[in-house]
Amino acid sequence: MTGFLEYVPGNSLLHRMNPVAKLFCALLISVACFCTSNLIFLACVLIFDFALAAHCKMTRQAMGLAKAVTIFSLILAVIQLLTNSTGMVLVPLPWGYIGTGGVIGAVTIILRLVAAAVPLFLVMYVTKMTDLANSVVKVLHVPYKYAFTFTSTVHFIPVFMNDMAGIMEAQTARGVQFDQGSIVKKIRLMVPLCIPLLVSSVRKTNSAAIAAEVRGFNLRTRESGYKQYPFATLDVVSLVICVCILVVAILLGVLL
Amino acid sequence: MIEISNFSFTYRESADPVVRDINLTIPDGAFVGITGAAGSGKSTLTYAMNGIIPHCYPGDFYGSVNVCGLDTVECDLTEISRRVGSVCQDIDSQMVSSIVEDEMLYGLENFGVAHEEIEARVAEALDAMGIADLRDRTIDSLSGGQKQKVALAAIVALRPEVLVLDEPTAELDPASSVAVYELLRRYAREHGTTVVIVEQKIALLCDYADLLVVIDDGRIRFADRPENVLEHADELLAIGVNCPRSTTLCHDLKAAGLYEGAVCKNVNDAVAMAEQVLALASSEEGGAR
Repeated sequence: MTGFLEYVPGNSLLHRMNPVAKLFCALLISVACFCTSNLIFLACVLIFDFALAAHCKMTRQAMGLAKAVTIFSLILAVIQLLTNSTGMVLVPLPWGYIGTGGVIGAVTIILRLVAAAVPLFLVMYVTKMTDLANSVVKVLHVPYKYAFTFTSTVHFIPVFMNDMAGIMEAQTARGVQFDQGSIVKKIRLMVPLCIPLLVSSVRKTNSAAIAAEVRGFNLRTRESGYKQYPFATLDVVSLVICVCILVVAILLGVLL
Repeated sequence: MIEISNFSFTYRESADPVVRDINLTIPDGAFVGITGAAGSGKSTLTYAMNGIIPHCYPGDFYGSVNVCGLDTVECDLTEISRRVGSVCQDIDSQMVSSIVEDEMLYGLENFGVAHEEIEARVAEALDAMGIADLRDRTIDSLSGGQKQKVALAAIVALRPEVLVLDEPTAELDPASSVAVYELLRRYAREHGTTVVIVEQKIALLCDYADLLVVIDDGRIRFADRPENVLEHADELLAIGVNCPRSTTLCHDLKAAGLYEGAVCKNVNDAVAMAEQVLALASSEEGGAR
């Protein structure tokens, strides 16, 4: 069982790529998805995404993510459907109609968001968080403080989730019924638990800061990192491919 | 060398000092155990030794704490950390990475250990803690005891002059606790490291420590060789510190007038004592006939 944004070990091409190259490729693909509304292009990118996911044996995670993004983008799609009254009339509405234009718009939104999100998430799953942070510091000269903030945030998410689960179990053992009643009732039961969670998380972050400091956090510079992150042929080729994808997207957006 | 003189500390949020009038000198290379009831100020004393007090917790600091020739108030925490390695109680929040290897690298990278030396240091520390096989594991997948060994290895790899450890075996089973102490003692002897350990398991301290410090309500009650401290079993019990069972047995036998030797601090001593008592009893029996 893997947690949120937790590294999945493997030896695929994606695993072996330079972390910075991976990040850039994912960003290029995502940007490309927002540069065009061409359905065929978006579908191709989506297929490409899933081919990559299948290559690094992460189809299941990618499907899960795609599902989550689809549900989120459905809201936007429905708005699009109800407000974009263009094309052939399909269903008349009091303020206009649901037309073919609206349907295409709705499908585009879902495809675009899923196609843009999957590569970014794949990067998180195939890259160790420390590698990502170290390489961003080493290659892109991002100050270490920011990289550390980011990795600590991701690192603490499961810790806090465990804490919350622990607090809820403790409350359940004392007779609080989290498993009954409506969602509103459940949320009302959970709100007071945020206080102990907040207290324990402030304590934890404080001791994490101390632990980092006694291990020389303040001395760390760009040269400190032991691992090197050179660009290999694979990385250059991947970057070129992704730039091409972006160029195609821009051309499609301009021409069509 | 750690020299603490007339040290008292009051946390900003509390009215009374948590530790007071502490005078303690720890020679280089000593293996020191600190014990006491919960809330007696053990952790605060370790914070004073590794510089976390006064640098991370604000409060009123009286007296002076001198570690490896550094005055902990005047030097900054990073400077102290170069000489003093610390492992705190909360293991989970101390981990900065998600992979054991990266956790090991973190301190080494930061303190600027030469890159060609790093690999050997990581391997040595992992071996010293007996966890070489965990190197590529994710930290989340480790048990509490394994995490404690990783935290120890990450600090040991920095080769500090002083190791300050706050309950390093709290999540370990008895066998692994002994193994960790064994590893620490061997490592400390090889490298001449001073080790200061806060520990509730007094039996372990009696076996390994050269100096046993017992704290009661913020004050040092005893600071002596373990066998000398154990002479005061009743007082220890009164302040919430249990003696090893062999010591309790020894005191019971003494109270019954059956034994008059040195105090026992471990099972081996107890066996010797039992043989002595039995031999005496059988000779008396023979004499009576």
